[in-house]
Amino acid sequence: MNPSQFLSKTRALWLLLPVALSGCASTASITVNGTFPNPIADPRPIHAAVLFDESFRSFVAVPNDKTTIAMGTAQVDLLTKAFGGLFQRVDVVSSRDELQPDTELVITPSVREVQVSVPNESYLNVYEVWIKYNLDMTTPDGVAIGSWFLPAYGKTPDSMMLSRTNAIHQASIVALRDAGAKLLLDFYRIPQVYGWLQQREGS
Amino acid sequence: MRDVARAVSGTATSVFLAAVLGACASTTTVDEIRLTASPTTLDSTEKVVVIGRRDAGQYETDRNFVACVGKKIHGANVTVVPESEFVDALYPWFEPRTAPKGLAPLKRLMERPTVRNKLSAEHIRYLVMVDGDIQSDGHAGSMSCAVGIGFGGCFGFTTWQKTAFFEAVVWDMQKLTEEARIRVDSEGTSYMIGVIAPIPLLTPVESEACAGMGDQLRSYFTSGAG
Repeated sequence: MNPSQFLSKTRALWLLLPVALSGCASTASITVNGTFPNPIADPRPIHAAVLFDESFRSFVAVPNDKTTIAMGTAQVDLLTKAFGGLFQRVDVVSSRDELQPDTELVITPSVREVQVSVPNESYLNVYEVWIKYNLDMTTPDGVAIGSWFLPAYGKTPDSMMLSRTNAIHQASIVALRDAGAKLLLDFYRIPQVYGWLQQREGS
Repeated sequence: MRDVARAVSGTATSVFLAAVLGACASTTTVDEIRLTASPTTLDSTEKVVVIGRRDAGQYETDRNFVACVGKKIHGANVTVVPESEFVDALYPWFEPRTAPKGLAPLKRLMERPTVRNKLSAEHIRYLVMVDGDIQSDGHAGSMSCAVGIGFGGCFGFTTWQKTAFFEAVVWDMQKLTEEARIRVDSEGTSYMIGVIAPIPLLTPVESEACAGMGDQLRSYFTSGAG
């Protein structure tokens, strides 16, 4: 190989290097699927309606420019089951027009924010997902009872042998399960809900 | 003469390999503390569940280790329910946020009739909670790797110490008592030899600790079986 051939090959390698390295910067489009277990709980004799609007049912989180997480179907499944553990009768509705006449409480969940942390950013050996929900509680007439912030956290056990997509999927499922656990554990401890219950039992 | 040289060379290689592989062996100690005098009894329908300690946040006992211990105990006389199956059946009471970390929170949880009834329906007699982890320290030596056009390789030698410490607490779900504690610690030295390709010689502390804890728990659960 003469010197000019060698230089041309070296230049070609340098030109290929950024292309090869940019190939390593992967993007992940995750659809969270899977069903969640029915909770072991003591539902109270309340007739509630959970309002999942279209934006919630088809919610796609974009925590950063490399990741999208379609979690609408999974969060509807999880919250439907979790609310089933809180109330003896739960109607799942898409709008206020569908409310039954004897509905006592209307809950509208929404997603405030979804955050993702990956090992090459956090320097931890795990993938993490945070989901921040907001629950707006009203009477069937639309009178506000309260609003509750529901944060949830999920992580993978480690990052060994996991693709970015698979790992964020696993961490999202753990975070959704955590949201269900917190909801079931703390819902009746919310001061506004407690006050509403006292008022309901008094009337 | 050539045969003698070949035989000496073969013997030397075998001795070297035996010495290196022998050095990767681990030392494991198992301690069992029985907290009650009553014998362990499991009828044919009763089951054992092995779960890892988990906390809201970062802490979680290695799931592979927990599954390994469960597999070691499972056999003809002892039925072990897989951790994930149990956690799903009792959702949300054994999630990282809600799982009891001691006997007092477990007793409070069992005051809930729905939880008590579900555990009874699942025939869970003993719950084994495993806690612990594996740590690496004492890193020594160095290794350098380089890649060039048409050439690549590693040269050097590194060594490190691995220590596994795990503790299993056995709770009787009928009597709501702590029955036993089994502790296992296993330590060994791992090596990485770089001769063109890096050759890892890893000490099997995790599998040794799993075997030690699993065998001891199995003997614990079968000791009362007639």
